[in-house]
Amino acid sequence: MTLIIFLFQRLRKTLFSNLSNSIISLIFILIISLVCLNTFRWLIFKANWTVVTSNLPLYAFGSFPPNERWRPATWIIILFLLSIITLFGPGWKWLRKNLLISWVATIPLGLYLLYGGFGLSPIMSRHWGGLTLTILLTACSSLLSLPLGIILALFRQSSLPLIQKLSSFYIDVMRAIPLIAVLFFGQLLIPLFLPVGIEVDRVWRAIFAFTLFVSAYIAEDIRGGLQSIPRTQIEAANSLGLNQFQIIQLILIPQALRIALPALTNQSIGLFQNTSLMAILGLVELLGVGRSILANPEFIGQYIEVYVWLACVYWMVCTIMAVLARHLEQRMTINQANF
Amino acid sequence: MKINQKLFFQLGIVILFFGLIGILINNLTINLIRTGLGINFSWLFKPASFALAEHPLPYSSSDSYAWALFIGWLNSLQVIVSSLLLATFLGILVGFARTGKNSLLGIISAGYITIIRQTPLLLQLMFWYFVGFLGLKDNVLIHIKDIFIISNQGIELSGFKLSSEFSALLLGLSIFTSAYIAEVIRGGILSVPRGQWEAYRSLGLSERKGLISIIIPQALPAIIPGLTSQYLNLAKNSTLAIAVGYSDIYAINDTIINQTGRAIECFLILLTSFLLLNLLISNSMEIINRIIINSRKYN
Amino acid sequence: MEPVVVAKNLTKSYTKGLRALDNVSLTVNQGKVLVVMGPSGSGKSTLIRTFNGLETFDKGELNILGIKVDSTHDEKKIQKIRRRVGMVFQQFNLFPHLSILENITLAPVNVQKRRRAEAEEYGMYLLNQMGIDSHAKKYPSQLSGGEQQRVAIARALALKPELLLFDEPTSALDPERINEVLDAMRRLAEQGMTMVVVTHEIGFAKDVSDQVLFMDSGKVIETSPPNIFFSNARHERSRKFLNQLDKH
Repeated sequence: MTLIIFLFQRLRKTLFSNLSNSIISLIFILIISLVCLNTFRWLIFKANWTVVTSNLPLYAFGSFPPNERWRPATWIIILFLLSIITLFGPGWKWLRKNLLISWVATIPLGLYLLYGGFGLSPIMSRHWGGLTLTILLTACSSLLSLPLGIILALFRQSSLPLIQKLSSFYIDVMRAIPLIAVLFFGQLLIPLFLPVGIEVDRVWRAIFAFTLFVSAYIAEDIRGGLQSIPRTQIEAANSLGLNQFQIIQLILIPQALRIALPALTNQSIGLFQNTSLMAILGLVELLGVGRSILANPEFIGQYIEVYVWLACVYWMVCTIMAVLARHLEQRMTINQANF
Repeated sequence: MKINQKLFFQLGIVILFFGLIGILINNLTINLIRTGLGINFSWLFKPASFALAEHPLPYSSSDSYAWALFIGWLNSLQVIVSSLLLATFLGILVGFARTGKNSLLGIISAGYITIIRQTPLLLQLMFWYFVGFLGLKDNVLIHIKDIFIISNQGIELSGFKLSSEFSALLLGLSIFTSAYIAEVIRGGILSVPRGQWEAYRSLGLSERKGLISIIIPQALPAIIPGLTSQYLNLAKNSTLAIAVGYSDIYAINDTIINQTGRAIECFLILLTSFLLLNLLISNSMEIINRIIINSRKYN
Repeated sequence: MEPVVVAKNLTKSYTKGLRALDNVSLTVNQGKVLVVMGPSGSGKSTLIRTFNGLETFDKGELNILGIKVDSTHDEKKIQKIRRRVGMVFQQFNLFPHLSILENITLAPVNVQKRRRAEAEEYGMYLLNQMGIDSHAKKYPSQLSGGEQQRVAIARALALKPELLLFDEPTSALDPERINEVLDAMRRLAEQGMTMVVVTHEIGFAKDVSDQVLFMDSGKVIETSPPNIFFSNARHERSRKFLNQLDKH
């Protein structure tokens, strides 16, 4: 009871402190209730959710052969379980130490489950699709662009003028071009730059293009981290007799990564959203599935249902990624060694 | 490292780099010879022979590719500048609502920001285009005596018409960018030390006066760089115009590549166009920044 | 017996006219403690930082533990010196991403290539000596300034140095934390460690040092034993400086 009174008092204080504030609050309460009412009515009575419910496997796996759907499903469930363990799992040291390795290991595992071979029937990458493909694109590109970004950042900070110029040129040009151009020309030009006879499928062309693009942004984030490390850290390391490579490896990179962590997680959340661009460049990832379903005469015109559903899925995954990232940051500030 | 050691290391990396570039270019020439394309720009002056729905300057399909590209560049500029203004306006509103005292407004704007930022821009653009404009029931949403009309033909304001493609792009880009701008504004306001708030309140200044004359001037130096990078992002994001069928510079490059197969040349053209756009935006912001710094000589 | 530090006519100029070091010469023998004093900007920090190559100089010669360095700043020789000389900084400069014990074992493991277990054992011994072995698993940000500085001393000792350099080790500490660091330094001096200490702590200089070197605007004004320097300094400028210190 006291709680309700307290809440009521707080509401009065924040919403109706003076006349203009009260009017604004009232208008907004009115608008919100109207919007909520209409949305609710639409969600329950008007919307026809069969376009979502009857196509759930498509959204998840694209045109992956139905008999083999357990493979991408296993992968996604493992990723999900790993997220839960990371967030709520016990703080045992051996577990925490192996979590990072486990996360990295999910990528080759995912590739194996999707490609097949070694006992599983092989499946071409053009059958990959849906959320599985979206997550795969994000994971592979993030993993590849991190080391490239670190190297670019170090080169840009280097005292060797030629290397510094080359790296700056690459980073600045990449950051000036729109992503869709990088992806489009990646699809077109990567085959042109490869020797005759070597073919790279569309998925890997996309991953390489994403990597080239994102690494330039990651490089700048890490450079920001490197710059905010005080010079005295290098002096201290010097006075201990560490050589230049040891200083970079043991002092600079770990600290820069830690400082850049929030920016880096934002990059990978952005990357996850941006994989949707592949929908207009010929991959049937999550948004692509939505487009192909909307092109099906059976579901024509049901844009709102599909877009609202897709927005929910993207929002959910982004939120999970953001929560994981915040958890990681907190762990790092409390206990700097293991996350 | 010793000087000659440094030189050696540098030389090694440069040789490696140019070796790699050499191999790539070698492959490229082999592939170009194989496909019989080669690189030249003379096609730029042949007739484009495609129509453009929107052109701020006269254009017909008998005009050259170069002219079509220029029109595309103007179209891009048009949508970038108008979304930039609208996004800034919305962003400031949401940003202040987010930091303001009214907790209801705070919650609403926080919700707005998370929904907009956690869903892909492309999805939002498609939503505005296919649902917001093309999907209008009875084809008209608002119709006020021929002065202000929103229909599946776009937006019309007393004779001044915006196509549905342009309107969807404008709306989508502005709303998306406004959520980021709101966060920039909020960050700027929060970067002003709390003591400044206490100081103007203790001097008896009203909230509004204090905000305008004490807080905002101090927040601006933190806000301007953030705004610049959001504007640059907006310019780059405007290339998603292709998803709603608006003829911006990227969409026209895309059409030309489909017609002529001149991928490498078009890549260079697009690169140049964007370097120009970026220079334009960052230089204008630099000028604004200098005006702000000069108008308030404080340290 | 070979002196540990011999500096001959060290000169370093920043911009035109301004000299950070002006013809500085000095000698520190094995097991001795040299305290360097002087007003801020007098070049005392610059001087001590040339001893392990953190600063270069333009003219003169330096002989640290028999290794000769001149203005060419030979990286290899400096690296050799750094392996045998420890340094403690004003701002501690611990590595924030490493635990206390990892801070200490970093150099032994990576520079001297000792086994980790051995390095950790010796690191724990040093922490015990400094009275902070209970903090071994913690991180620098969880420690007080005085504790961090004692970790920094342990870190410098981990390489078993033959010379320890202290660059204003107590200037960044809260007054009540200064003594715990000075006590640790006193014990090191008693054990026969050769030390060069830049400090304003008169008490420490009086009790522990063998020589006091007073610098002003890059020049050595005088070098005297502490009993003479503090009671009857030979130079006007030294006396002025000591007067000002007393007032604080």
